[in-house]
Amino acid sequence: MVESVLSWVEERTGMVSLVKGLLDEDVPGGTSYWYVFGSATLIVLIIQIVTGILLTFYYAPSAATAWESTRFIYDKVILGKYLIGVHYWGASVMIILVTLHLLQVLVWGAYKRPRELQWFIGVIMFICTLVLGLTGYLLPWDLNAYFASQVSINIAGSAPIAGPFVQQFLQDGPTMGTLTINRFFGLHVWLTPIVLLLLVGAHLFIFRHNGPAGPTEEEAAKRRIGKFFPTQLFMDTVISVLAFVAIVILAIVLPPELLPKAQPSLSQFQPYPAWYFMPLFGILRMTPPELDVVATIVLPTIFVLVLLFLPWIDRNPDRSWRRRPWLLTISALVVIVVIATGLYGQASVSQGQAANAQLVKQIQSGQVPGVGAPAGAAAPSGATQVAAAVGNGAAIFSQNCASCHGAQGQGTPGVFPPLAGNAVVSGGAGKVIGIVKNGLSGKIVVKSQRYNGQMPSWKATLSPAQIAAVITYIRSSWGNHASKVSEAQVKSAK
Amino acid sequence: MSGFDPPQDPGTPQEISRRTFLANATVVLGGLVGLGVAIPVIASTVPTKELLTGSKQWYPLDENEFKQLEASTDKPIKIFFQHKVADGYITSTNPEYVWGIKLAPGEESKLRSSRPDLFAAKDGEVPYPVVNMGFVMFSPICPHLGCHYNWDDTAGKFVCPCHGSVYTKLGEHIGGPAPRGLDPLPFREASGVAEITWIDFRSIIPARIIVSYS
Repeated sequence: MVESVLSWVEERTGMVSLVKGLLDEDVPGGTSYWYVFGSATLIVLIIQIVTGILLTFYYAPSAATAWESTRFIYDKVILGKYLIGVHYWGASVMIILVTLHLLQVLVWGAYKRPRELQWFIGVIMFICTLVLGLTGYLLPWDLNAYFASQVSINIAGSAPIAGPFVQQFLQDGPTMGTLTINRFFGLHVWLTPIVLLLLVGAHLFIFRHNGPAGPTEEEAAKRRIGKFFPTQLFMDTVISVLAFVAIVILAIVLPPELLPKAQPSLSQFQPYPAWYFMPLFGILRMTPPELDVVATIVLPTIFVLVLLFLPWIDRNPDRSWRRRPWLLTISALVVIVVIATGLYGQASVSQGQAANAQLVKQIQSGQVPGVGAPAGAAAPSGATQVAAAVGNGAAIFSQNCASCHGAQGQGTPGVFPPLAGNAVVSGGAGKVIGIVKNGLSGKIVVKSQRYNGQMPSWKATLSPAQIAAVITYIRSSWGNHASKVSEAQVKSAK
Repeated sequence: MSGFDPPQDPGTPQEISRRTFLANATVVLGGLVGLGVAIPVIASTVPTKELLTGSKQWYPLDENEFKQLEASTDKPIKIFFQHKVADGYITSTNPEYVWGIKLAPGEESKLRSSRPDLFAAKDGEVPYPVVNMGFVMFSPICPHLGCHYNWDDTAGKFVCPCHGSVYTKLGEHIGGPAPRGLDPLPFREASGVAEITWIDFRSIIPARIIVSYS
């Protein structure tokens, strides 16, 4: 029955033999679990496309609707939160699989002649995947989406020559807004996926043209030739299923959180990138500010160019990993550096994330201290705010100090030092009083970290009693145990 | 289309030149279509000037507000208006205010000496008169990170609640992390009515750069 249907179709279309021809392929040197990453990436890409299309059924790109429609998917759409989770974690898993695929090709030397263009296209597809991650990050339009994308747009804008044009193109206006969301939506949903799919086609076509690389010729000669169908296809399927199960588990166990809606005035929010951009973030954190462009533009550009042109840089025709010690050593070092800088970046945001969580809690409970009122709403006058806080060190701290020094006295990395565990804070009272009264600026070192912020003078804003209360508070909070400070001490100090 | 059928053997010079012509013509015609699509598509992605700079709108003061402003030389007053904001195709009207100050005698020359950047023509930093009819308007946005600052009556100073930047009544920066003094806004008289307009300035940097008008 099946046979006769197939032959009927074959006679009229030629498609059955086409599919048979595609499946009936030799795998030199035998099938292997090393060869599964490309196929698994393709399967995850298809998952991304399917879930992405579903999300567009509800998502509406504009500043007035982006966050609201995402909230709607979370709250009202059946399985909406799960599907967002699948799309979110699918991106992560896809980047992991693409990276493994790239590393496997690198170790096997499979980028060498005649597969240079296949590699080149593959690297562009890798970049497309990262672009999808970057553009998708903005779309929920929550606090982190907004501030993190602002960082990436500003980084793009800081590039020499083309920077301002790229920034203008991405932002489409003087600041980020509705049209920025529309641009990112178009890039994320239309342009990049179409380019990526065309490149997938080219990548696969060239793959069929050259055939799989397999191990080196000498190795392959020692082993049997394998078949793509059914053996390799089965292996590919096993890994794809594992990838899918991983995505599902992550989506259920660690669903992505939708933070409060973007609010440009909430300047104390500390944005953090997706984990796959953490290495870049870590490098940026390590470099001094005057070398920012090196960290954000120069190094990534060199990295991408070396990757793209690797087949022409590494002209050694030998594919055996045993005879390419230098290339593999350098590659291993690069992998280690990328992981290390990523861990460093992650470590440097964890403090900020704690402060963010605090801030989010305050927003959700309707009290946001230290934030400028959104355009229009009349801000409470300084006098009433100050009056309300008299005698209460904690309140004075949260209204005047927490926006820089953190609600838990943890500080802001690189700018405002932590007060918790700070030897100066717990040291002589006179010095602390002097800093609060007169301010402090310039480079300082606290707990072996450098800070370079500007502390204003508070003697015009806070009364001596208030200064005494807030100093007493910071000297007895977050593990600090130092003596109380009296109003008289503040008055007598210069 | 018998006219396009090969009249002769493919190897003849006439046939080679005919085929070359058709191939080239295909490239040229296809290229024209490609350009015809690409040029307007690319051109449309360039942000318009209006989008980038905003449209300048003037908001009239009502009579009471103006009287209040005229009478108040010792402290600044808030001048409220309905701010029309365009974010792409979404327009909204929000209540907003600017700080208005009636300069006391001698204060204009004080302002000129303490804040020469407001009057210097350098790079057209402030391309409008800052003092008009004895009044100065300040944007209510702190040049540090964009919060709304407040007037502290007891201290007689502007104080920002976010990071503690402090300014005098004339907008001189005297404390806190702000990189520059308060940003002046245009003020004018049109057919007997005083009017203000709104400008967004770039924050955090010492230079006073106009982002957009609205």
